[in-house]
Amino acid sequence: MKTIYEKLAELLEVDVVSDEQILEDFESWDSLTVLSIIALASENYNLVLRADEIRELKTVGNLVSKLKD
Amino acid sequence: MNLIFKNKVITGILTVLPANEVKFEDEMENYNFSLAKSLKLKMAMGYDKHRIVNDGVNVSDLCIHGLNHLFENELLKKEDIDALILVTQSPEYFMPPTSNVIQGKLGLKQDMICMDINQGCAGFEIGLYQAFMLLDQAEIKKVVLLNADLLSQKVSKRDRNSNPLIGDGASVTIVEKSEIANTIYANIKMDGSAFDTLIIPAGGFKTPSTPETGVMVEDAAGNFRSLDNLVMKGDDVFNFVQREVPPMIEQLLEKAQIKKEEVDFYMFHQPNKFMLNKLADKLEIPRDKMPSNVVENFGNASGVSIPTAITYNLGERLVHESLLICLAGFGVGLTWASMLVKMGNMKFCKLINF
Repeated sequence: MKTIYEKLAELLEVDVVSDEQILEDFESWDSLTVLSIIALASENYNLVLRADEIRELKTVGNLVSKLKD
Repeated sequence: MNLIFKNKVITGILTVLPANEVKFEDEMENYNFSLAKSLKLKMAMGYDKHRIVNDGVNVSDLCIHGLNHLFENELLKKEDIDALILVTQSPEYFMPPTSNVIQGKLGLKQDMICMDINQGCAGFEIGLYQAFMLLDQAEIKKVVLLNADLLSQKVSKRDRNSNPLIGDGASVTIVEKSEIANTIYANIKMDGSAFDTLIIPAGGFKTPSTPETGVMVEDAAGNFRSLDNLVMKGDDVFNFVQREVPPMIEQLLEKAQIKKEEVDFYMFHQPNKFMLNKLADKLEIPRDKMPSNVVENFGNASGVSIPTAITYNLGERLVHESLLICLAGFGVGLTWASMLVKMGNMKFCKLINF
């Protein structure tokens, strides 16, 4: 079972991610990645997220706590 | 809402697609997106090519082409058509109904019913429900269901959210009374409180098209569209589908007392490969039982997507065999509907070009 950080690193197309990293700084941060995060939330956490909610988040840590809500 | 229909049968499906094929790569430069990101989008969503009508082509042209093909090949007789249902969101006029226009152009008999239904993604199911209900009349023996949409005309070429997946097309489905007793299980739900999830904001009576409604505006994701263009809240659609469709299918199968593995194919509306694969996984259905190859080959022509999936993936098989098929449509409205139906021994099941 992959950790949440491993899954996010995969979606963000990097080797590792850490809490303090800014989401908008990732090269891969775009509407498609946002959709992939919505899908990840739906599949793994049974969570309904909206694109605008995700876009409001600043850091990887914010995103992780959103997913663990 | 659960629905039950008795002693009805689909005896033929013909899909008519415009021959003009547009490649994803040829439209990438219209998008406000890097090349690498566009290619990633193509890969993830399963975009490749789509069928788009040439300027000046209307839904009646595709429908008449399909019906004439059936008349010429002696697969349908003009005088046998007792009802013509056209499900479309691309009508030629606000008045009269486009189905009447088709009836007139083809010289069909007057002793019949024509009706247009404004529905999209679930338009195949809704059209079939209407056809089944009409067939309860003694004098109605054969219903022709037309699904047709040309929504490429309303999508902005600079909208990578909608343009790569849209396609144009029409289908002709023949529905009759069955001599062999059968039961068709179905259901439907609607949520008009989310009417603006998929919408063309201007062009109707409320907001007529003006030079102002034609002004292109950039959204948060960098897509350009005007109020005259189709706009889709992609994330809301995704969440809606993942939330509502799996329980709808579970309920349908439970009512019919059928196990998931007894269903031969799940022919669902075709929004994109990504969403269909997620749906198959959530329903724990093998992905090869739920074809998702319509968008990459032809584009999504709303209510025509299921007939396209059936004719493209099964075609001749449905002339020679009989298969248990679960249909599901979901989208604009919002509307979601599903149906469990035995299909087979059809007179025809194929796809032709316009």
